[in-house]
Amino acid sequence: MSDAPILAVADYTLDYRTRLGAVRALDAIELTVGRGEVVGLVGESGSGKTSLAWAIMRALPANAIELRGTIRLGAVDLRAQSGTDMTHIRGRRIGMVFQDPAASLNPTLTLGAQFVEALTTHHGLSQAEAWSEGERMFARVGLADPPALMRRYPHEASGGEKQRVIIATAFACRPELILFDEPTTALDVITARQILDLFLELQRETGVASLYISHDLAVVSQIASRVAVIQRGRIVEQGGVSAVFARPAHAYTRQLLAAVPRADRRLVAEMSGHGKQLAAVRDLTVRYGRPSLIADLLGRTKPMVTGNRAISIEIRWGEILGIVGESGSGKSTLARALTGLARFEGSLLFDGKRIGGATDMTGGYRRDVQIVFQHPDSSLNPRQRIRDILGRPFRLYGVPDGRPIAEAIADLLRLVRLPAEFADRFPHQLSGGEKQRVAIARAFASRPRLVICDEVTSSLDVSVQAAVIELLVDLQRKSGAAYIFISHDINLVRQIAHRIAVMYRGELVETIAPEQLSTHGPTHPYTAALMAAVPTIRAATTHAGGTS
Amino acid sequence: MSEVLARLVRSPQGAIGLGIVSLVGIAVVAGPWLAPHDPNAISILARYKPPGGQYLLGTDQLGRDLLSRLLHGAQSTVIMAAIATLCGTVMGALIGTTSAYVGGRTDDAVMRTIDAVMAIPSLLMSLLVVSMLGRSQANAVLAIAIAFTPGMARITRSVALAVRKQDYVSAAIARGEGTAYIVMGEMVPNVVAPIIVEMTIRVAFSVMLFATLSFLGLGAQPPTPEWGLMVSEARKFMHLSTWMILWPCCAIALVAIGFNLLGDGLRDALNPRT
Repeated sequence: MSDAPILAVADYTLDYRTRLGAVRALDAIELTVGRGEVVGLVGESGSGKTSLAWAIMRALPANAIELRGTIRLGAVDLRAQSGTDMTHIRGRRIGMVFQDPAASLNPTLTLGAQFVEALTTHHGLSQAEAWSEGERMFARVGLADPPALMRRYPHEASGGEKQRVIIATAFACRPELILFDEPTTALDVITARQILDLFLELQRETGVASLYISHDLAVVSQIASRVAVIQRGRIVEQGGVSAVFARPAHAYTRQLLAAVPRADRRLVAEMSGHGKQLAAVRDLTVRYGRPSLIADLLGRTKPMVTGNRAISIEIRWGEILGIVGESGSGKSTLARALTGLARFEGSLLFDGKRIGGATDMTGGYRRDVQIVFQHPDSSLNPRQRIRDILGRPFRLYGVPDGRPIAEAIADLLRLVRLPAEFADRFPHQLSGGEKQRVAIARAFASRPRLVICDEVTSSLDVSVQAAVIELLVDLQRKSGAAYIFISHDINLVRQIAHRIAVMYRGELVETIAPEQLSTHGPTHPYTAALMAAVPTIRAATTHAGGTS
Repeated sequence: MSEVLARLVRSPQGAIGLGIVSLVGIAVVAGPWLAPHDPNAISILARYKPPGGQYLLGTDQLGRDLLSRLLHGAQSTVIMAAIATLCGTVMGALIGTTSAYVGGRTDDAVMRTIDAVMAIPSLLMSLLVVSMLGRSQANAVLAIAIAFTPGMARITRSVALAVRKQDYVSAAIARGEGTAYIVMGEMVPNVVAPIIVEMTIRVAFSVMLFATLSFLGLGAQPPTPEWGLMVSEARKFMHLSTWMILWPCCAIALVAIGFNLLGDGLRDALNPRT
């Protein structure tokens, strides 16, 4: 048809009014999405990518100030539309798929009712027509038993099913443009892969123009035809996917690309010889749930949920043991059992001593085994200064060499490459990466022999993640501590682990060395599925997305 | 802190509440100096005077100046009520946080006991305590504190349960910290904000409860110029002078409204997101 783009954003500049004055969120944005095109918008958190989505949807918060620029949908100037006009455009002409499917569905309405509502308001279909269309679309997006699912409420469906319903609704309204804001970030690796495949298929079939917002360069490289890289509200580079990823022109793009974990780039030295055993776990089983007193008295017993089933694994001195699996596979449960946060059955041998449960975990064991959690926001007490947070382990276990505590804290901050002045700050005055460094410093204060890293980088941006991983590898080399490195990202684990344990539904399905994984491939089908699901950057080959 | 204050003054209920509570605060601190007369000076010739002239708010059945009595009474009424609320809050906060931290059977037992205690209305509860311990101001304070403890424990526990799930508590357990440090050092500082709000609102109830106890003759004893006691004494002479029952009632109502508004304002100011 015509060459006129579906979406054209020109010279768009947006500020947010804050207590500290205006903050520039978007700066002179130039972006077009043509008919049938998938444009990827890549940037780290705080780069303004979601602000752009809200600006296009005309749902900006009250403190937004639009300075200049235009946003056009076909021939319509979206900035000139009134609130009521926009309700006719949203949903019918622009669809949107958000990050968290649980938050974008109304928990009090059935999935079918929400689908039907969208079609009856936007396309004037009757209830019965919309319902049968729903059954057809639900089947189209690969949902099993659509009639039954349509009668279910959101909490009765899994995250992947919910996201499929939202995608079905967005496509069923046959909009000209769909905005995707990190639609797979909240999902499991394998589910995310399926959603991506579904998106590609539907996109090819309908030829709808899409703006795909993501922090994940690998995902964008696989689905988009053009990509725009956004940094602090400014688009620094824009072009065809293969061109941008093969020959990035801007330094920031190169930095982002270099930070993406690649399985073929090992970051650790291989273990010399076999190494002595540090800890061994035999038939470790964790069950969750506690029968209530009244249920007990009435003689009703509720089955307990099994978090780990008969796990047996050993960790050697100075080894990095990677544990991968999707959420709910029991990775974190194992970490909680080893740190005395969850009750377990089975045996745990640490440095020759038998640990039967939390009561056997004496000061010595606690000092030797440290844990770093996923979210630094949650693992650092917001009411304590960094000084108090880092000083706590010293007060518990004593300061090495009997030095003053302030000096030891400054050393600790230097160890994780933070300035010593940070001791006076509160956690909310630090960035996500800096907070995670503080959490790592706290774990290393006691000179541990085993550090459990539970998804320590998954809440961080990709470039920050690379720096934190580098720091962890460096600390491991200096301190000689063993790591249990838990992650959902098999590429990342393949970069730094000496051995990889794969978990699935609470069980350990395979333990394999990364070299063997590269040369011979996985032995267990689940590991193979996991490896296939993780997207890798495709630069040289032509993409599959549909420009025609 | 100044940021919270600025947000507090910006909301209408916060500004009004802060204004009223500041006035009450001035009366509590400077009341005895501001009072134009001796609160207990009897003047037979000037009984049942309406407001005006030498006696700004009039006089009671013994010719004592009502304004002076109110200003002196602010101290006994408001300070006692505040102390009672504070005691109840501290006890409740500790019980609630510890119960949330320990969890399991202990939590069940503590909370069911608190449910049982809460089933008794707070006025009845304080009446019970005072009649067991004997009538006096100190016992009234204790009675109110005990009556407030279960409610505060319940509110604190609900906040503390969310804090209990935070990783910094898990990190402290994994580090091998003791229960006392985890409750006092890690958890309590993070449940303070909602507790302060609840405490402010409860001061209003406490003023009314304390006045009620005094009215029933179980709190302050004559000739203390306590507001509830003033209402109780004035009841017999209502038909001779309406003013002497009206003013202390207004004072009690004003304090109650002031603290309620302040609590509402604080709730908004401390949670900027809601």
